[in-house]
Amino acid sequence: MLSYILKRIFSLLPTLFIVSIVVFLVVYMIPGGPATAILGMEATAEELAALNAELGFDRPFLVQYADWFGGVFQGDWGQSYFLDMSVLDAIGEYFWPTFSLAIYAELISLLLSVPLGILAAYKRGTLVDTATVSVSLLGIALPGFLLSMFLMLFFGVTLKWLPVAGYVELSKGFFEHVRYLTLPALSLGLVQAAYITRMTRSSMLDVLYMNYIRTARAKGLKEAAVVFVYGLKNAAPTVLTVIGQSFGSLVTGTIVTESIFNIPGLGMLTMSAITRRDVFVIQGVVLFVTLIYVLVNLLVDILYGFVDPRIQLGRK
Amino acid sequence: MKHGKFSRVLALALAAAMMLSACGSSTPAETPAAPSTPSTETTTPAAPATPAAPAAPEAVEYKTELNIAMNANPPSLDVPAVNSNIVGGIGMHIFEPLFSLNAESQPTAVLADSYTVSEDGKVYTIKIRQGVKFHNGQEMVADDVVASMTRWLEKSGKAAPLLGGSTFEKVDDYTITMTMPEAYSDALNVLAGNIQWAAIMPKSVIDAATEEGIGEYIGTGPYKLAEWKQDQYVHLTKYEDYQQPVGESSGFTGEKLAATENLYFRVVTDATTRIAGVQTGQYDVAEGIPADQYSILAGDSNVALSTKTAGTLNLFFNTTVGVMANEGIRDAIMMALNCDEISLGAYGEPALYVVNPGWCNPADSQWGSTAGEAVYNKGDKEGAKAAAEAAGYKGEEIVLVTTPDYPEMYNATLVVTQQLIEAGFNATIMESDFATFMERRADPNQFSLFITSNSYNLSPVQLSVLGSSWAGLNAPEVQEGIQNIRMAASASESRAAWESLQEFLYEYGAACVLGHYSGVIAADADVEGFDYFNFPVYWNAKVPA
Repeated sequence: MLSYILKRIFSLLPTLFIVSIVVFLVVYMIPGGPATAILGMEATAEELAALNAELGFDRPFLVQYADWFGGVFQGDWGQSYFLDMSVLDAIGEYFWPTFSLAIYAELISLLLSVPLGILAAYKRGTLVDTATVSVSLLGIALPGFLLSMFLMLFFGVTLKWLPVAGYVELSKGFFEHVRYLTLPALSLGLVQAAYITRMTRSSMLDVLYMNYIRTARAKGLKEAAVVFVYGLKNAAPTVLTVIGQSFGSLVTGTIVTESIFNIPGLGMLTMSAITRRDVFVIQGVVLFVTLIYVLVNLLVDILYGFVDPRIQLGRK
Repeated sequence: MKHGKFSRVLALALAAAMMLSACGSSTPAETPAAPSTPSTETTTPAAPATPAAPAAPEAVEYKTELNIAMNANPPSLDVPAVNSNIVGGIGMHIFEPLFSLNAESQPTAVLADSYTVSEDGKVYTIKIRQGVKFHNGQEMVADDVVASMTRWLEKSGKAAPLLGGSTFEKVDDYTITMTMPEAYSDALNVLAGNIQWAAIMPKSVIDAATEEGIGEYIGTGPYKLAEWKQDQYVHLTKYEDYQQPVGESSGFTGEKLAATENLYFRVVTDATTRIAGVQTGQYDVAEGIPADQYSILAGDSNVALSTKTAGTLNLFFNTTVGVMANEGIRDAIMMALNCDEISLGAYGEPALYVVNPGWCNPADSQWGSTAGEAVYNKGDKEGAKAAAEAAGYKGEEIVLVTTPDYPEMYNATLVVTQQLIEAGFNATIMESDFATFMERRADPNQFSLFITSNSYNLSPVQLSVLGSSWAGLNAPEVQEGIQNIRMAASASESRAAWESLQEFLYEYGAACVLGHYSGVIAADADVEGFDYFNFPVYWNAKVPA
């Protein structure tokens, strides 16, 4: 198992290298530079050239890339000229709001989707199933920004139950932290729930009509045991994969939701960095996101072994 | 089974958290409408007036925080170096200049005490106020002022072209001189300008500055910088040792009370969120309200809207490269433009724009002018088609570069393109993000036309259109016109010179003002003392608790 994990982590290095060079090249090639973002719309060409020279953006591509790449190996991912902090510090600061939001949204989605998915599969063909499938289809089809706006207008503006936007750090109080994250978490969680519900239903349907389920019932096992122990456990790998993908997408930043609800997370950092051409931040965030995705997938793979002993990772 | 138990526990925990979070929401108590805010250009108290509340016998308590939702993160707070309204607006609360504008837009002393002008008009001797302290406790002396003004002259794109070659020197600890190469009649106006303005800082801050800007934000203003959380907020706190300038509060001058202890300029990039925030009381003021939301907010009795004619939406012509170098074709394009349609397309709300050919505020008695109206806003497509053919147009591509990042610029570009196509031009749009747009705009080989919205300038000679680096305009008549404005013997001569130059811009086909736009700010109806001058002014603003 350990060797498998190490092998997976090691195989990440070429991926990160390719991603880094592609992103660096793309950012280098697109017109517009960081000096424009700093100095404003009416800066003269001379002012822009002077600032670009000071920041080192007037050097050839390979020189700039080699400089940055050398730094990465020494733990220096570069400096954000806009945020006035190192890229690693910036990622560290912007990651926690996203992480909190991702956990909260994932909790909401799991609490809704797994029971509903199981119920819809168990009551296949009934009104419950039809309603669940229809609502989850609607959830998948509904654009995230529209749901965000609706939640903001209804719970924030009309009912005034929750703040419409903003973020309070966990250190300033758990309940305030949760209160500010509730609307964005609902917005993200409901969309994710729609997807996971459909996948849970689908994988449970594959399992619930297998022979061993019929055998379990014939043995006189209670229905709950049949569904949860024999059914859900065998459907779990598929559900886990979907949850992993869902959590991966949440934890790597949700640009639209974070922008609407004004949450200073990775999504907002990504958007701002692109707008400002904050090259090293763009690089850093993309590498970090790649890393997170791979690690989440690795974690899901490891969990397979626990939920289904037939899956033995690393064995040929 | 374990899974089921776990789910139940989580469900209970989440439900409890949501209930507590909902119960814990602190909805602001409804309070009766406050007296109307002091005069901005227009202030709409919105919808039906709230019935007047009975006079309260006890003194009103005010909040210690004012939350302002602004639409972008300031790139820096280095006021002289960065051309940005957000930077200038926040900076106005931290820094102060020697002179600034009062409510009548007249240059008025702030950190200056008095000044005299030499007989030849080239030397200004300025006495500075004594006993004024920077936020670091150090007293402001002539060395600080000389260092700040010298850097301002070097960095400010608005100052350098107008006062280039001038020098600042210390006479004694509280007196400086400004020596100009010529006797510029508008020197005091330039010193009091509010774009990339002359903020006074300690000499030590200037000495430590790099090409990227200053590293510390230390001024003499009524507020000092407490914390700047990038992409979240800029927090200013009241400066207790602030030395009040003389006179009543007026524009950027006079008394600055720092009526609310803490100002939070919160970065809220989404306009809908800013609006929802001010409607619910989460934000006291929301800046940058889009024109299409104006009519919706005008019906909300909890919100007061302030508008101010703030600048112009301009179409700039490439005058130097390719088909656009042909003046006849530029004239034909000018003839095709219908500015009423373009402005409506850009802003959607007729109350928020004025169609007028002037490059300065039409209400400005000195610089407001309709010169050029003979060729302005014709909307004559057939005439344009004939004129283009006569000028030798053979269907060459006319490229309009634009960016969807600024909706009014983008929408106006769509309408202009359509008008040009209808007039027989082979017009096409090249859109990109803002940074790319700026790069294309700066290179005459990459555009035929582009549209930007630009804030008003104090003097027409500061207009971007007159600079060759903006859209490549390099006609000798422009420099001649600028000289005539600046060296004029009287205000009326100066005005006549500007009218002549504005007329030239239209007749030469250099650029066209498509409309004058109004900035819109929404505030909670209870906010008192807020003033929307050239920037929103918050130093006297307060909200009942």
